[in-house]
Order: sequence, then C-alpha cells, then structure tokens
Amino acid sequence: MRLRRVDLVLIDAVTDADRNATVTFTMDVRLDPFATLGLPRSVDLDRAAVDEAYYAASRAVHPDRFAGADEATRRRAEVDAARLNEAYRMLKDRVGRLEALCRLGGIDLDVTGGDRGAPMPDQAFLLDMIERREAIEAASREGEDALEDLRDGVEAEIAETLGAAEDALRQGDVRRAAEALVRRRYLARLLDEIDEALTA
Amino acid sequence: MTASAPNTLTSGGLFQIEEPDRPAHRPRKAGLGIGIDLGTTHSLVAIAPHGATPRVLADDQGRALLPSVVSYVGETPVVGYAALAQQVDHPDRVISSVKRFMGRAPEDIDGPVPYALGERPGDEGRVIRFDVGQGRLVTPVEVSARILEVLRRRAEDALGAPPDGAVITVPAYFDDAQRQATKDAARIAGLEVYRLLAEPTAAALAYGLDRNEQGIFVVFDLGGGTFDVSVLRLDRGVFQVLATAGDTALGGDDLDRALAEHLLAEAGVEAPTPHQRAEALEIARSVKERLSVDTVAAATLRHAGLEDHEVTRETFERVCQPVLRRLKGPARRALADAGIDRESIDGVVLVGGSTRVPAVKHLAERLFGKKPLDDIDPDKVVAWGAAIQADILSGNPRDGVTLLDVVPLSLGVETMGGMVEKIIPRNAPIPIRARQVFTNYSEEQTGMTIHVVQGEREMAADCRSLARFDLQGIPRLPPSMARVEVTFQLDADALLTVTARELMTGVAQTVQVKPTFGLSDEEVERLVLESLDHADEDFAARDRAEARVELDRVITAVRRALAEDGDDEKLLPPDERSNIDTALADAVGAMDDGNLDAAALRRIRERLEAAAEPFARRRMEAALASGMAGRSVGEIEHAVGDEATLDERRGGHHATMEDPVAVTE
Repeated sequence: MRLRRVDLVLIDAVTDADRNATVTFTMDVRLDPFATLGLPRSVDLDRAAVDEAYYAASRAVHPDRFAGADEATRRRAEVDAARLNEAYRMLKDRVGRLEALCRLGGIDLDVTGGDRGAPMPDQAFLLDMIERREAIEAASREGEDALEDLRDGVEAEIAETLGAAEDALRQGDVRRAAEALVRRRYLARLLDEIDEALTA
Repeated sequence: MTASAPNTLTSGGLFQIEEPDRPAHRPRKAGLGIGIDLGTTHSLVAIAPHGATPRVLADDQGRALLPSVVSYVGETPVVGYAALAQQVDHPDRVISSVKRFMGRAPEDIDGPVPYALGERPGDEGRVIRFDVGQGRLVTPVEVSARILEVLRRRAEDALGAPPDGAVITVPAYFDDAQRQATKDAARIAGLEVYRLLAEPTAAALAYGLDRNEQGIFVVFDLGGGTFDVSVLRLDRGVFQVLATAGDTALGGDDLDRALAEHLLAEAGVEAPTPHQRAEALEIARSVKERLSVDTVAAATLRHAGLEDHEVTRETFERVCQPVLRRLKGPARRALADAGIDRESIDGVVLVGGSTRVPAVKHLAERLFGKKPLDDIDPDKVVAWGAAIQADILSGNPRDGVTLLDVVPLSLGVETMGGMVEKIIPRNAPIPIRARQVFTNYSEEQTGMTIHVVQGEREMAADCRSLARFDLQGIPRLPPSMARVEVTFQLDADALLTVTARELMTGVAQTVQVKPTFGLSDEEVERLVLESLDHADEDFAARDRAEARVELDRVITAVRRALAEDGDDEKLLPPDERSNIDTALADAVGAMDDGNLDAAALRRIRERLEAAAEPFARRRMEAALASGMAGRSVGEIEHAVGDEATLDERRGGHHATMEDPVAVTE
C-alpha cells in the first residue's frame, strides 16, 4: 500500500484519554522526578541540592560503569540513566521544579483546559499581553534603550510570578501557583520576542 | 498494510532505517581499549590500560603526531610525514584536512575544494570522491581509514594484541552524518568503535584528572579545522558537560588561508595556480607558527615571486580578524546555554594547536574574563582523555570516573509546513528519552511520515535530515483527533531510536536511526572486506612506500648539497666526503632494489643522514652567517635543501621528477 506523504501536526494538548493510552507503554518519569532523584518535594530545593543528588545517582547508574557487565545489566543501566536524566532536566532549574510540584499537585501545565490542565489566564491579562506586544514594536522603532527598559520590566515581573508561585505552593494552593506559572510562560515568550527584536 | 512487514525501510536510497535489534553485546577485553584523536591536521593514538596514566604512542622515529595526510602519488597510499613531503609537488594527489569533508556532500563544502572530484553511478551528487589519478576515486571515509589504520597498528604494537575497541574523538559539534562517516572509517580500518567522544570533553577528562580539579571549566578547542567550546562541571570524579557549541568548519587552517591570500595579494598574484597556492599555504603555516613566538617573520614565495616579505604579528592579526570574530558567537552561546556567567568560571583550558596563536589566547581571555590555562600539551590532551574513556569502556571502572555527556544538536521531527518540532533539545544529558504527541490534519490521513531532523534551525529544509519513515494504519478520524506519540530515545553512545505510536490503536513503528549519508552500507561493507583481505600486504606495501619516499627525499637533499658545496673543503673535509659517498651509493642501490623492506630502507636512510649531518650543519651555519638571519628555521631548511629544484621552477618549468613512490617491480 502506497501512502500519501502527510505531515505531522503538533498539538499542545494531551487529554487524560491520551495519558491513559500511554500507561501500558512506558513507565512515566513524570510521575515523580523528585523520587527518582531521592529528593523531598519541596519548594525550597536549590540547584546545588539537585546537582548533588544527580551526581550521586549518576555515579551509581551511568551505563559506562557497566561496560564490562552482561547485557541485561547494561540495558537496565540505560533505562535508569535515561530516567535519571529526564528527572534532572525537569528539576535543575527553578521553573522546572515549580511546574513539577504543580503537576504532582494535580495540575499539568503542558495540558490545556480542564481541571487538571493549565488554567487560562484572565481576560485582562491577555489584553495586557496584546498591548505589550504592540509596545515591543513601538520600542524597536525607538531603539535599543527602549527595548532594554521593556526587558528589565518583564524580567522583574517573571521574578514576581515565581515568588508568587512559591508562596502559593507553600500554602498548598496548587491552582494559584499554576496560575502564576502560566503567566510566567506568557511573559517568557514576551522576553524572547524582545530578545529577537534586540538582535534584529 | 503490506503482507510482508519490511525489516528495513529505505527512502530515496538516502537513509537506511533498521529495526533496533542490536547485536548482542560482545564481552569486552579490559585494558585493550585505545584512544584516538583523529584531527584535521594531525592524529594521535594513546593508551591508558587498567587505570594507568595515559600515554601517547610514538612511531619508530619517536614522533607522536601523525600528519593527517594521505598521498596517492604512487600506487600504494602513503600516510603521515612521507605524504606531507609530497604535498607541494603533487597538491592534487596528496589529501590533507580530509576531516572537513567527512559526512558531507559536495554541495555542503563552502570554498574551493583543492582536489579534482569524481563521481560514480548512483552517487547523485551526494558523495565526495577525490580523483587521485590512475582512475582512482577515494572518499573522505577511505582517506580517514588509512590514517586510522596506521594508528591501529601503532597501538597493536604497543599493546602486544589487537585493540579491543577505540574511543575516537570528534568535534563536539559534529552532526550525525559526520559521526557516522567517522565510524565507517574506523570499521574499514579494522577498529571497533566503543564510542565517539567530543574532543573538548576528552580534554577536560584528561585535564581534570591530571590536576584533580573541581568546579566549572570552559574548554576552548581550536584545532586545524574545527572549533568547539564546552562548559563542564567537575565534581569528585564526575564530569558533567553543561553545554557545548562550535563550528565544524572553522580552525587554524582558516588562519593559514587568510594569511596565504594576503601573501599572494602582496605578491600581486590574482589567480594562483595550485602550486602557488600549496606553497603559499605551507609558508603561511610556518609564518603563523613563527609569529606565535616572534613579533615579525619573513615570508618567501618562490612560485609567486615574493622575496623576504616581512609579516608583523600585527598584520597577521589584522588579516585574521574575520576568522577570529567567528569564534565569539559559539563561545557566548555555550555560556548562555550552560546558564553560567563569566564570574562563576573556575578555569579556561586551551586545547588544539591553534590556541598557541597569541591573538586566539587573548580572545579567549577577553571572552571568559580569565587567564587561560595553557600549561598542558594542547596537542596531546585530547588523545589522553580518549584513552582514559576507552579504558573505562573496555571494562575498567577507574575509581568511578563518570562522564555525563550531552547531545550537541537538537533532534526533532518535521511538522506541517516544513517546520521543525524539537523533541530532544541540544545540550540535554544522555542517555535520555523524550516524546511529543502529534495529530492528523485530515480525515483522509491514514499514515504519517516521520521525518527526523537534526539542527537548530526552524525549517526542516535547513536542518540535517537523518531519517524518514512511515507510520501506517492510523484509523480514519476527523482532523486533530488522531494521537500519534513520537518518542526519541538516545542511548549513552548517542544512538537514536525513534518510535511512533498511534495511541488509540497501538499501531507502532520503531526504527534505529543511522544516517548513511554518502556511502551506502554495502559500499562500507565491501571496503571493510577488502581491507581485511589485504590488510597485511597493504600495510607492508604502504610502510615500504613511505620508507622509500623518505629515503628518496634524503638522497635528493644530499646530492643537491654535494653539487653545491661538495668541493668546499671547509664545509666538507675529504674523509667525511668519502663516508657520505659510500652511504649515498648504498642508498641509491637500495632505491633500485625492489626487495628491501621498510626496516632495511629506514636503516639505510638513517646511515646516510648520520653521515651527512655534520656537513648539513656546517652549511646551515654558513648560510646563517651570510645574511639569512631573521628567517624562520623552516625557511632556511627549505632554502638550503630545495634551492636547486626551486631554481628549476623559477625557470618556468614544473618539476617533472619521476614518480618517487612508484614501487619498482
């Protein structure tokens, strides 16, 4: 059977039905990267603690340590190391740690809609984003300084959203944390656009 | 669905996709791993068996570096110094800097290729083949295999047994096609590749272990033809690569070229001949090296008619500015990707011969705000690191030394409109598994083409295409209802396995991605078998051909010296003269005797060199005294040794010497 060449379309939504379908397929490291690294689920972890745990675990499971071992042991090491690396990639920066804590608290920011998906920002915020985008265009006509000013402002706001997310998680309010982290994603995209304008 | 599920899917003959049933792991022989630095300008082999300190292996004349040059002047290819000696006379048949062509198609090469290219049926413009005369076409993979073969032999002699496997270093920024070409070359050379290791990572491993360093280190690696910057964190035996960036077509060769062009322009040559270009490059290289020590050097291009032209370090640096500027981008990107600011850098390690250039050193210092560490041999440190990793991968734990490597280039799939969706971003730690879910865009769609690409660009057409395969049997569903999960799995050896699975039906297709850009598997297989069949005779013939080239070079030089100054008794006392004459007669006889092996030829050459040495030294001193001061030693040797042939060329006719390597039957 000759198949038509068809392109893939990326979707950014993965529904719960999809998730269930994957259960038989692989063990999902997303379940708990903290457990994989042997770390407590805490807002107060820092990069150094994550690195420390990652190095200790890597020394134990990295496939190179088993170059002389039998096939089964080596395959096991590959799987363990892949899981470890995936967990590390999630937890090594502050945003990743906060998003992982939300996911474990029941809200997955990579899923849109529904109770368990990323909360939609309110209308005012979205309108504000549109205005900000126009402001970037205006600033890029004005010059580098204007863009840098915008950039400083956005960076400060991102820091604020992270602080808000941490506070919310400390109080056990996952939804409020998720809302702050969604705002951060919008702001991060804005920052990219400013950087693009700066390098253009 | 077709009745017979194919084990191998091919698409356009470009890529082969195999099912990922890897051959069972062969038990390894601890202590028989070797490390190879396959460089653009020179290559090395090192060993570090059973936890030993790494050491680079030298040839029988004590030379550790093997010039990455292969000569096809004679029937039998010649590798290394002997090949280098033939380059100016036969620029079209002596292949150097072949690394630049690995895993590349003719269209990928920017700038002129200094060799004639040929084509075979079926190449379709994708394979580079150098036409080296006598109807012979050789690929970059084969040229590299010749170099690797010499190194493998060298290791075999030192280990007293065939190497079990090799760690071969490649620029961190090599893409999968370039890596596969390197692996193919190793197979043809009879080497099992344990792993390809990034050059800066290898350097960091050797440096860190040697100095027992901790903290964040930047490795700034400028070789002959490639540039890498890697940021690593060293923590009690763990070497974590944080980020890597680079340019696989930027190196010391570019500095040589810039200077050569400047010299040719100064000589008023607008369209240089291949000989003029080859000579200009050779002189540019020696002037560059000279200017790493002195602030001024003289250049003489006989073919281009440039006499004693003075080049200051300042001029050199000005001429090289465009090249030097290209070092900045990757350096900054590596820091940004690592999330490291300049203040947190604990050390900057310089690797690669081109970092000897003061302007390069200064640039590194400015970029990272730290005085670079240049107290380790930049030529050998990469091979040392490769040897250490080879020892580990042969099965020696080496006190828990653990290398945590990353994927240098993003891996993704093509989506609607030719856009790339990245699945594994660059600098993700390996081994790793990552996935994305995709959907259909029309109800008619019962299959999906998974096009796997590598690179940072937004459009698939601008990235390196690695593989293309189909997932069939997707149920008819309204647009955006199908769910296809694409999983990329990258193992510790950076082998990529891609699985596409339709989540509703569970239909899945898994392939191991192996780019066979350029050479087909069949051709590699054929070359492997050929080299196995002829391995010993080939090697003996090559060895002998090399010895003959070197002997011939010495005979020519001695004859020339005798012709010029042989009657000057101050330079050559009569008793010495008769010694030389005897040794020379033996040497000439040896060249005519087709039965002598390489070792015998070498002994004869060494005797002749020993006999002529005092005479040569006196001539050199005399030349220096008569006003050649200020020139580089290389040039003086050149002038003293090659005056006669150069005169000939100035007269307008090219040397039509007899083929000095042709093996007499």
